[in-house]
Amino acid sequence: MATIARRPAPQPRAHPARPSGARNRSRGARLLGALCGSRGIFWQGVAAAVALGASAVVSLLVVPADAAQGDVQRLMYVHVPAAWTAYLSFAVVAFASAAYLRTGRVHWDRLAVAAAEAGVLFTGLTIALGSLWGRPIWGAWWTWDPRLTTTLVLLLVYAGYLAVRGLPDNPDRGARWSAVVGLVGFLDVPVVHLSVVWWRGLHQPATVLRPGTPTMAGSMLAALLLAVLAFTLLWAYLVAARMRTERAAQRTRRELLSAPVRRGVQPVAPVADLVATAPTPQGAGSHG
Amino acid sequence: MGGAGGFRHVVRRRTHPTCRIDAHAACLDGVTRVFGQQPALVRVRLVVRPGEVVLLRGTNGSGKSTLLRVLATAVTPTHGRGCVFGHDLVTDRRDVRRLTELVGHQTRLYGDLSAAENLRFVARMHHADPALVPAVLEQVGLLEVADERTRGFSQGMRQRLAMARTLVRAPSLLLLDEPYAGLDDQAGSLVHALVAATIRRGGAAVLASHDDLVGFAADRTVTLAAGETVVVPQPSLLSAAPGGLT
Amino acid sequence: MTGEALALAAKDLRLELRGRHAVSTVLPFAVTLLVALGLALGPDRPLLRQVAPGLLWITVLFAAVLATRRSYELEGEDGALEGLLLSPADPAAIFLGKAAALSVQLLALEVVLVTVMALLFGLPLAAAPVALALVCLLATVGLAAIGSLFGVVAQAARTREGVLPLLVLPAAIPLLVDAVRATSLALEGRDVTGWLGLLLSFDVVALAAGTLLYGYLVED
Repeated sequence: MATIARRPAPQPRAHPARPSGARNRSRGARLLGALCGSRGIFWQGVAAAVALGASAVVSLLVVPADAAQGDVQRLMYVHVPAAWTAYLSFAVVAFASAAYLRTGRVHWDRLAVAAAEAGVLFTGLTIALGSLWGRPIWGAWWTWDPRLTTTLVLLLVYAGYLAVRGLPDNPDRGARWSAVVGLVGFLDVPVVHLSVVWWRGLHQPATVLRPGTPTMAGSMLAALLLAVLAFTLLWAYLVAARMRTERAAQRTRRELLSAPVRRGVQPVAPVADLVATAPTPQGAGSHG
Repeated sequence: MGGAGGFRHVVRRRTHPTCRIDAHAACLDGVTRVFGQQPALVRVRLVVRPGEVVLLRGTNGSGKSTLLRVLATAVTPTHGRGCVFGHDLVTDRRDVRRLTELVGHQTRLYGDLSAAENLRFVARMHHADPALVPAVLEQVGLLEVADERTRGFSQGMRQRLAMARTLVRAPSLLLLDEPYAGLDDQAGSLVHALVAATIRRGGAAVLASHDDLVGFAADRTVTLAAGETVVVPQPSLLSAAPGGLT
Repeated sequence: MTGEALALAAKDLRLELRGRHAVSTVLPFAVTLLVALGLALGPDRPLLRQVAPGLLWITVLFAAVLATRRSYELEGEDGALEGLLLSPADPAAIFLGKAAALSVQLLALEVVLVTVMALLFGLPLAAAPVALALVCLLATVGLAAIGSLFGVVAQAARTREGVLPLLVLPAAIPLLVDAVRATSLALEGRDVTGWLGLLLSFDVVALAAGTLLYGYLVED
């Protein structure tokens, strides 16, 4: 009993004044922290805006139009980067989900949810831009091409990821649920792709536009790389900003949690008191 | 693996300076549990020693059930930690589950299985001896209906069957949540028998009840108010049943 | 762990036999769905024969969602899932037990459905009975694994009924594609080894993922 009586009543671990785990953070966590600080987010936003502006000028005015497709082909400079960020989000969701389940550290969950929401945005954008591009080129808004189908499944997985988060009354459990969905989706999507490739293979060769073929002019490739860079910066900015709001939301929850403790009566009776007021415990022998 | 291994991360930062394997059947150290944004338990500290019977008192919604469910590892503490016979409530769930049995509001029966089949299933899941089932059913007075499906059972009969599960399992930490609800007087003494058997094994019992205990007394009463433990003087309870646990 | 999983599977099957939910609800639903799909497509027999594998597996998919929900409903009725969780069994054993019971139920359902389809749509079942049986077996195991994994979410979040199909259907898309293609080829008497391999690898991944991840879903 003495060990207990000596120990002062612990502060609730969630006390907002003391960010938990600040002492022994890994290098990755520190880097994430720097990128998600308000200054880090600001500069990411500036970088993204500059790169997007430059990319818009280059892809619309500098690069020549495609010989075969005309100006429509300029959609490539947004469609391909959008697809890249969509798949980047997906990989990050899977990695962060695994890391969260493994370590239980909330910053991984914040990263996963931020990447998932960015993923919804960019996957939707990819599909919409692809449809716009496909209509004049293929003559159809949609074709059951492996890449298109896989991207659509990706969107459904993200929908599931975000849908399960808020279901349980325990936010940690919601985070674990969505992490499981993110991981299962990560395992699932390659199989979807393979299945559709095989499926198509038995009917007709897949009609895929291959924007990255070596036949592309050097200036087009450079413009594409610039666009990819710009979208990646935009993605990083959105993810970092979203992580920041998620952290604020978590802090607010903790704030609410500690409110009754501050407001209420003397919170905890020391265990020693409980023991002291109890009558002498009867030994096991006297029972029964 | 999923259960215990999945929460391995917690091991690194949690030790138990306050929980002693030899001394404590159960302990909670600053346990807070929040449902949504509503705290059900707030920084509860509690120690239960082997051989002890602890009675939890408190109004509806004061956190009694949540406290029992935390000890049974059915809900995880949002903050704080605890242990049962030296096993951590979060990291060593499976060890805790081997030792505890919670008889709660839900009787956890399958309506389309008979009383005996329900108990045999429990025995198989807990590595207990299914041959105990007839004797246990007799003990709780349900031998005549052993082969009837439990869907038609009254609340009292279901409660008896839930207690029969405890007899099959023989846990070291018995957690009873309103055990007298729905029971007649005769069955009330069953609670006493369960607690006495647990204590005889060197275990401990924690009960939450609005009713007076039938035939025995608690060693200690802990009152919960709005999720927090408070200490109250408790003269009447022990004098009411001077014989203690017999 | 095996013992607990088997005990759980036996319990689930016994409950199913007594409750007759599959016979009284899932089967009539599935047959009705088949008939409705057939009517929607019209009486063109060659067309029906061509799309029959797709209809079969769509029906099985919906039936699997229903059976999964039922399986976890029984656990939720009186807090029984909590009882399973609070037993010292590995959560993986609960996952495997439920997946096994679901597999058996779905296989029984498929036998009936395939027979009904053969009669209604004029399928040449005799073309490759072994290949067909293997396709059914492998697709069912994967489907049951997904159902057993995500059924917990439906049980714990009872108010949101739509969440189970939202999780199960995207995860089952590869199964659907593989099973439909393999069934079509088997009915034409062609080789389906590659597709069976794909189904088998899906099953292995689904069972492994479920075994590893189930605890995270089911624990509070």
